Amino acid sequence: MSTKHAIAAERFLADKEGSVWHNQSIGYARTKRDTMAKGIPEWEQLRKLSSEIKRHTVTHLDYYLEEFSKHAEANGVIVHWAKDANEHNDIVYDILQKHNVKKLVKSKSMLTEECRLNDFLFSKGIDVVETDLGERILQLMGIPPSHIVMPAIHIRREQVGKLFEEKLNTEKGNSDPTYLTRAARMHLRNEFMTADAGMTGGNFGVAATGDVVVCTNEGNADMSTSMPKLHIASIGIEKIIPNYDCLSVFVRLLARSATGQPTTTYTSHFRKARPGGEMHIVLVDNGRSDILGNAEHWETMKCLRCGACMNTCPVYRRSGGYSYTYFIPGPIGINLGMLRSPQQYSDNVSACSLCCSCDNVCPAKVNLSEQIYRWRQSLDSIGKADPMKKAMSKGMTYLFDHPLIYQKSLYLAPLINSMPRFMIYNGLNVWGKGRELPTFAKESFEQMWKKGKLK
Amino acid sequence: MSSKESILSNIRKNICQQFDMPDTEIRGIRYDDTVKQFIETSKTVGGSVEILNGKDDINDVVRRCYPDAKKIASNLPEIKIATVNPDSVDKAQDLNDTDVTVVKGDVGVAENGCIWIPQATKEKAAYFICEYLVIIISQKNIVNNMHEAYKKIEFNDYGFGSFISGPSKTADIEQALVMGAQSARGVTVILTE
Repeated sequence: MSTKHAIAAERFLADKEGSVWHNQSIGYARTKRDTMAKGIPEWEQLRKLSSEIKRHTVTHLDYYLEEFSKHAEANGVIVHWAKDANEHNDIVYDILQKHNVKKLVKSKSMLTEECRLNDFLFSKGIDVVETDLGERILQLMGIPPSHIVMPAIHIRREQVGKLFEEKLNTEKGNSDPTYLTRAARMHLRNEFMTADAGMTGGNFGVAATGDVVVCTNEGNADMSTSMPKLHIASIGIEKIIPNYDCLSVFVRLLARSATGQPTTTYTSHFRKARPGGEMHIVLVDNGRSDILGNAEHWETMKCLRCGACMNTCPVYRRSGGYSYTYFIPGPIGINLGMLRSPQQYSDNVSACSLCCSCDNVCPAKVNLSEQIYRWRQSLDSIGKADPMKKAMSKGMTYLFDHPLIYQKSLYLAPLINSMPRFMIYNGLNVWGKGRELPTFAKESFEQMWKKGKLK
Repeated sequence: MSSKESILSNIRKNICQQFDMPDTEIRGIRYDDTVKQFIETSKTVGGSVEILNGKDDINDVVRRCYPDAKKIASNLPEIKIATVNPDSVDKAQDLNDTDVTVVKGDVGVAENGCIWIPQATKEKAAYFICEYLVIIISQKNIVNNMHEAYKKIEFNDYGFGSFISGPSKTADIEQALVMGAQSARGVTVILTE
């Protein structure tokens, strides 16, 4: 029985050239990250510190959230609290309605993706324009992001060229990235100029000052908030951190881990509304406070959403973001999906070879692979274990519990080596799918020991 | 119960074990020559650097760098060639088509080329809407790393500030690096004494 991930990955891999390109392209980001990490002598110390600060902060989150909202309110910012996605969307819509907003420009936010805000606002007649180039490309194509930091990483330049020909009237057949980026710049400039409100996410919320910190390379968060008078920032509650000393640790890790840059071009601190304008912050829970109560999985709350775990993951690189059934793919997405709904998202837990590479690049030291392993152990208890693998495991348990039968089987096992392929690689052997099985040794350890071949 | 109270009480109910705040003092990377490193990093992130000699006029340097610039935005009194003052425009949109904006930076960071620019004019759009951004910063204000920078930065009443490192960039199309996504296409840092 194949998981939904495995079936989708097969489709992804059918485009051989595209999937090889995807693997190499993401691998390039991983290589750049390594170069950056090696250039900082205190890199591992920073990761340790970041993990410890996050552990402290999320286990004192009630205190830091109150500090944050208190300081933001003292700066004249209006702070809202949303228990779930629906409440978040209602709050945003309510603000927009009060200001008679027809068009909203948005910078990249995985949280609003999580809340499906855009569809909601469209249904209410509000025009929502994504302004990150990758996000805009996907929005014009009508498809979701396949990576949390490089959303359009699976799209080729020719596809963008064709899309822009149709939507932005660019030259026929021109798919030069510089040309296309210029065209998008002109198109988006017009959107910034005519928008009634700007919306951003937030990479960090600083409790000591009330700042919302947004990191971008394009400057689209800044453009989105420089023309309209109204700014709404939606932030997941786990993004709150204590103070600037802590922020300096995270800022040094974030871009280096994410894209292998020493920093994002813009690290912008929004503390107050524009002169004559209004700034709102929506603090969103949507299941996060429940994660804190999960003794085995609460450390996912440390995640900085940098995407380094995806870039290093051999399964993500070779199966693409769309193979996962949760909107966040890769190691962190597997875990967050299971925390959202184990029944709905258990297909992703097999998308891991337990190589543990993600644990070693995570700038907050989230124990991603260990957590995936734990989810796998719990599959049977939620009725999601693969029946075929379960049957084989039962058989093996029987074998291991009966030494005599075990030894007999081991003696006969090398016969399998010379069996015709169709007898080994068929629908009954799920472990023979898409991989070569190891050959059995001619002699077992026990036989060799008894013959005195081992000392 | 309000949503705020319900979220906070759920957090309090769910926290299993509490962890102490670690000592956040960390000795970040340091350079023998921070200014030299800052210049090098600025170039890596796509910016260019001009060093102002005592007798040079800053207006001449800006002119030399951007000879074709027509609309120049600045509220700095020493920028005589400015054609528009972002303090006195009616609305931010009036700053569209600005060729060059000239601003002052407070703190420069050697490790990543960041320069702290606190909003010091009515329309912060000036910093982002221009084709090219010129940042003036004193060599005395270059620090080694972000830990040092965050101890130095200050805000004023506008309540906005940004660390800017080089020009706006994107690699969203096939990871090909393109300068000038939505904001400034080029950045020149003028280092003063």
